[in-house]
Amino acid sequence: MQELNERAKLLYRTVNDLGGLPREPLNLTEHPLLPWEKRCHALLESLNARGVVSMEEKRRGIEDMGQTIYAALTYYEKWAMCAANVLITKGHFTPDELAQKIAQVKRRFEEGT
Amino acid sequence: MSAFAAGQAVRIADRLTIGHTRVPSYVRGAKGTIERVLREFLIPEDDAFGRPHGRRQTLYRVRLAAHDLWPRYRGLASDEVQIEIYEHWLEPVEEAKQ
Amino acid sequence: MSESHDHEHGEHAPIQTHETPGEWEVLEIAVRELAIEKGLITADDHRRLLEGIDGASPMLGARVVARAWVDGDYKRRLLADGSVAFELGIDNYDRTNLIVLENTPQVHNFVVCTLCSCYPRPILGLPPDWYKSPSYRSRAVRWPRAVLAEFGTVLPDDVSVRIHDSTADMRYLVMPMRPAGTEDWSEEELAKLVTRDTMIGVTVPRVPSPPA
Repeated sequence: MQELNERAKLLYRTVNDLGGLPREPLNLTEHPLLPWEKRCHALLESLNARGVVSMEEKRRGIEDMGQTIYAALTYYEKWAMCAANVLITKGHFTPDELAQKIAQVKRRFEEGT
Repeated sequence: MSAFAAGQAVRIADRLTIGHTRVPSYVRGAKGTIERVLREFLIPEDDAFGRPHGRRQTLYRVRLAAHDLWPRYRGLASDEVQIEIYEHWLEPVEEAKQ
Repeated sequence: MSESHDHEHGEHAPIQTHETPGEWEVLEIAVRELAIEKGLITADDHRRLLEGIDGASPMLGARVVARAWVDGDYKRRLLADGSVAFELGIDNYDRTNLIVLENTPQVHNFVVCTLCSCYPRPILGLPPDWYKSPSYRSRAVRWPRAVLAEFGTVLPDDVSVRIHDSTADMRYLVMPMRPAGTEDWSEEELAKLVTRDTMIGVTVPRVPSPPA
């Protein structure tokens, strides 16, 4: 790669491009997927199978969310956030529809239904 | 028709990542050889933007010597990284080998 | 060092009760329900893909490897065309394009996706957390033997490593070398030796020592 100053380097490396960076040793602890994480995986697979959001759109959507989110959120938190972002960007639903639906889901849990 | 054949020397291009790419920075600018010619696929630059009928390019597997990729690489001269690169990210290289 | 897989919840995955779902679970449910309401996907799509995810595990890959170990013709066809793996009645639920990589006495293969977490899910199930971690994704391509050592894998000095970075449309399954002394084992017994980590390539199969 050509020599670049630190800011120009940002043009040439996306946030997920980690190959070759020094990092801490592996943590081999595994956690079984939470049910919502598995459902989230199946959601993105469904959207991909139906041609609504491809896996590559999902990958790019996650990169576009930027470094702070990339580092802070867990794997499936990023998927969930990205799914919402991409579907809104593509006009499938609006932010207020999402907000309404979220309120509805929370009420359902509160009411135990 | 694919532009490159198995065994051919190639260089991986180096470009901006704006607009999405699946070519990691650590291989950009590197020279290697075609390990295998795969078939055509929708390129990530179009797939990533929801263009299922976008451009299709031949995908290749490229073998790269690990010691070419990393300064002070500690391993064997025969260690390799093998990676998939699309045709539009590959450039031909003169065969003069050291 | 053994493959230590403590099945505890990691720090980043607090236990959720059903009465108090986290923001992320709520988000998943909301997006999924909207997607169904808007006709983008059906509930059946989701159910089918959940089944696909649940139905896949490393046992499927182990069957493929064990078959290849005992059947030279199958092995040859498999190495030429990874889709042969799915002949064993395995559901390729996401149309994975598979390449099978053979470990030999001269070459040890292992697989990483430096850019995300690409993994042959229909044949190995979902990837372990470490495979998706920055630590693995960053270091596997540059310090392969150090990373292998963290799994307890030490290769002989004259064995080359090939690190496969799964960056595009192909997915990879490593075919480990068949351990010595297993010549008269059944396919079923052989499959038990083929763990997930041997098919990612970070470990090699071990014949358990007989009980004392």
